[in-house]
Amino acid sequence: ASLERGLIFNLDTGELCLQSAQCKSGCCQRDSGLSLARCVPKAAELQDCSPQSLYGVYYKCPCESGLTCDADRSIVGSITNTDFGICRDKRDMAR
Amino acid sequence: AEVCYERLGCFTDDVPWSGTVERPIRKLPWDPNKIDTQFLLYTRENTNNYQVISAVDSTTIGHSNFNTNRMTRFIVHGFIDNGEEAWLSDMCKRLLTVEDVNCICVDWSKGSKCQYTQASNNIRVVGAEIAYFVNVLMDQYGYSPAQVHIIGHSLGAHVAGEAGKRRSGIGRITGLDPAQPYFQDTPIEVRLDKTDADFVDVIHTDSAPTIPYLGFGIGPAIGHIDFYPNGGEEMPGCGKNALSQIVDLDGIWEGTRDFVACNHLRSYKYYSDSIIYPDGFLGYSCTSYDAFQTENCFPCPAGGCPNMGHYADKFKDRYKDSSFVKLYLNTAEAKDFALWRYKVTATLSGSKKVTGYANIALYGNDGNTRQHQIIKGTLKPDNTYTAFIDTEVNIRTVTKVKFLWNNNVINPTFPKIGASAITVQSGETGEEFHFCGSETVREEVLQTLTAC
Repeated sequence: ASLERGLIFNLDTGELCLQSAQCKSGCCQRDSGLSLARCVPKAAELQDCSPQSLYGVYYKCPCESGLTCDADRSIVGSITNTDFGICRDKRDMAR
Repeated sequence: AEVCYERLGCFTDDVPWSGTVERPIRKLPWDPNKIDTQFLLYTRENTNNYQVISAVDSTTIGHSNFNTNRMTRFIVHGFIDNGEEAWLSDMCKRLLTVEDVNCICVDWSKGSKCQYTQASNNIRVVGAEIAYFVNVLMDQYGYSPAQVHIIGHSLGAHVAGEAGKRRSGIGRITGLDPAQPYFQDTPIEVRLDKTDADFVDVIHTDSAPTIPYLGFGIGPAIGHIDFYPNGGEEMPGCGKNALSQIVDLDGIWEGTRDFVACNHLRSYKYYSDSIIYPDGFLGYSCTSYDAFQTENCFPCPAGGCPNMGHYADKFKDRYKDSSFVKLYLNTAEAKDFALWRYKVTATLSGSKKVTGYANIALYGNDGNTRQHQIIKGTLKPDNTYTAFIDTEVNIRTVTKVKFLWNNNVINPTFPKIGASAITVQSGETGEEFHFCGSETVREEVLQTLTAC
């Protein structure tokens, strides 16, 4: 496993990151603007989430595969990256 | 040579204490006044600041919140550590949220911040001090040693062993990764062993050989029941790169401790979490960690699996005989560390074989889990796959599951794969839940299977 481990990419859960692309889990998350960001798992169904965005770092992770974050996609929210929602099954949303 | 101290008796450096392969360097324990062992009492009446109590001046016990009709738990730190380190008082605080006990942090930092070979002999005086303390409780307060539980980390575990050897009848000793150097392969009078208390449970989290793998914790099973979380050698979350390890959520100091001995410190972090997860940390009896990964150590026996940590004494009568019991389990990478184990058997359906991976998420009235990978490689319809998952939520009754596959390769034919039947078996109860599905789905689409 150490081959896959990088300081920059393929980061494990808990490792410091600057961009979600660095994380194996695909989510680089921090609690507040001042705190350091770390790789954490993506959000599961019914958990808080923020929609997938171009930003590298999230306050709330985007959802796992097959789920969608039903946040209000307000312009202000997407800029300040604080438009949170709940992960829902895409197929439930479609019905 | 020999040295004698009033109150605590004499200490020699003859064999087996020194002059053996395991303990080559001769050292005699320091004077008790130099080690200056402190007993810091926390109770529900004083959860935030300790009261200093002493057996030498035993009136301090009478004047403190120490109460004779409740259990007493001693917590003993290890090498280079100290009694006022956060983890000891945090553990007391957590204990007091679930039970009404006398919680005493034993601070022997003056005897632990020195050469390891000296500290590993100083523990004999500290053990004698605890035995003396319990004797005073018995003589002056009619307190029964069966009410005493000593929790020791690293060298602290052998302190507990020494106390138990000197004062028979101690109710329980918990060894949190007992120290390996100078103790592994030594006679039972030197180290912690199952004769030191009515019930001895041990958690091994750093048991790789000291040379060359720098394992600090003892390897072999030494108690009535021995837990080897994650196999007992490499703990998840301890493989982080140095920077991420040192800059820790709980601050640089906590991070530096983890950087130096992450595996070794996990033992008390698991114990601390076990206090607030009475249904977590189930240990599966197995011959090895490899065997644990297969099916023949699953599920728990009819009588149930013991819980690693605080509630390990739930089945203490079952493990009284002389044999050793090794128990295995997996934990999470960061707190909260508790996980619950399930066996998942899935039969696939679909038009053609694809390569990729498949995940499953469990749903029930206790909530739902994240997606856990059950297959990696070829996904072949009509094939049945079996895998174990350790989930972060305890789903007691699984009401439905969601299946998803993905193969990261853009394939223009848009294949469809589904799960026709999935069986989930709970490790704790052995109960099986059967789910059926008739549809097939494209990749990254959740297929819901309901009870059939």
